Amino acid sequence: MPLSPRKRAQLVRYIQYAVLVVVVVVVALVADWGEIQRAFFNWPIIKEQFPDVLTIALKNTLIYTACGFLFGLALGLVLALMRLSSVGPYRWLATCVIEVFRGLPALVVFIALAVGFPLAFPDYEIPFGNLGTVTLALGLVGGAYMAETIRAGIQAVPKGQMEAARSLGMSHTRAMISVVVPQAFRIILPPLTNELILLTKDSSLIYILGLAIDDYELTKWGREGMNSNANLTPIIVIGFCYLLITVPLSILVRRMEAKAGRAR
Amino acid sequence: MTMPTGIDGNAAAIDVQDLHKSFGDNEVLKGIDVHVDNGQVVCVIGPSGSGKSTLLRCVNLLEQPTSGRILVEGAEITDPDADVDKLRARIGMVFQQFNLFPHMTVLRNLCIAQEKVRKRSRSEAVEVARRNLAKVGLADRESAYPAHLSGGQQQRVAIARDLSMDPDMMLFDEVTSALDPELVGDVLAVMKDLAAEGMTMMVVTHEMGFAREVGNKLVFMDGGVIVEEGDPREVLSHPQHERTQAFLSKVL
Repeated sequence: MPLSPRKRAQLVRYIQYAVLVVVVVVVALVADWGEIQRAFFNWPIIKEQFPDVLTIALKNTLIYTACGFLFGLALGLVLALMRLSSVGPYRWLATCVIEVFRGLPALVVFIALAVGFPLAFPDYEIPFGNLGTVTLALGLVGGAYMAETIRAGIQAVPKGQMEAARSLGMSHTRAMISVVVPQAFRIILPPLTNELILLTKDSSLIYILGLAIDDYELTKWGREGMNSNANLTPIIVIGFCYLLITVPLSILVRRMEAKAGRAR
Repeated sequence: MTMPTGIDGNAAAIDVQDLHKSFGDNEVLKGIDVHVDNGQVVCVIGPSGSGKSTLLRCVNLLEQPTSGRILVEGAEITDPDADVDKLRARIGMVFQQFNLFPHMTVLRNLCIAQEKVRKRSRSEAVEVARRNLAKVGLADRESAYPAHLSGGQQQRVAIARDLSMDPDMMLFDEVTSALDPELVGDVLAVMKDLAAEGMTMMVVTHEMGFAREVGNKLVFMDGGVIVEEGDPREVLSHPQHERTQAFLSKVL
């Protein structure tokens, strides 16, 4: 007897649950739990990581990311406005910058700044040392991505908003600042959060600069800890620290979105 | 209701002369002459695509005319040297889609241009804004966001926002077309009050009742030209041109 559509849907759901249970059981049976605990969740090593992993590595990751993101945001806004400019050369220049830095791997940009810049300009150095370099590198990469996001956001604001602002006597610039850009940022809050999370992880590329221990960020910290202990536990610890940054961030943004949604 | 038509010798509020406007190859306005005296209410009607909204948008240069002249209070605004921002601050414009700023409260919507364009202090702007909100019957909604208001309320806020700039004249672009029927009356009542106070108004509308009752002049447009114009009651009751007759027989 053929099953009714509802019965069939129910059967498919049971099968999916069964597959999940089988996978979990097989993994649990196959895994070497003693070795996992020794290599990944080694309690003495975990204790040894704290509190320095928080006060040095986590702190540095936050600083590098925040500086890179803020510079990238400013750069992205400028590039987006250039892309929308009525002056041709501005549009072309912005397009070039965006295509180059969006296309290059972040690691290449870091190497270019850390190794290439001192070779090319031996009499100059990037201000603020490592922090300046990482801000510049993350900002260039992030800014190129965010420029396109911001441009899309600005274009997603209904045309009537600009018209209403202009008809009240605001200049184009004033209308952009007071009316269009604030609305654009509400629209693009989710993709901007994405970019911030990507930059949090890209900040690990700073290892290319060669760092003193006080400048270690999470990934470098974890790798050093892994090598010196011949154990993967530090990697687990710093992985947890990354989630400590990104998960609350996601929650915060979800709250902000809900709030903006109520005003819309 | 009759309006004072301004002091003799005063320049007309709006004087449109041989206005042409094309979008690409599509000529939307084919030589328009319109005259709006101070304190007059001129209603513009016509089928969709007749160019009536484009005409209105040309008057505050939201659309750039292809050729022709527009004079506002005697000053030629189509002159490339004219200060467009200054001009627009004197002409209120109300849109079909309200176009309130959704990220600001009602009060902020009314204050922002006063502060940034008129350079009024915050407290002065708030005072003017509250006065105009009371005028449109929404004094109690100043801290609401536009999304929390009905369409009719939003449109009245939009009118109050323009009034807060102390405009010399107001343009209305099908301001009741996006509203539910039961909300139209409140908005029209506000517009009637404005007319009674002597505000110069140019109104693109489908509300024949409003045109008949409040308008000093009715302009019927079709195909980018003015087909017929005159006293609203006269035009609505005894249309002379057959295109006017055909249009009115469909909408009345």
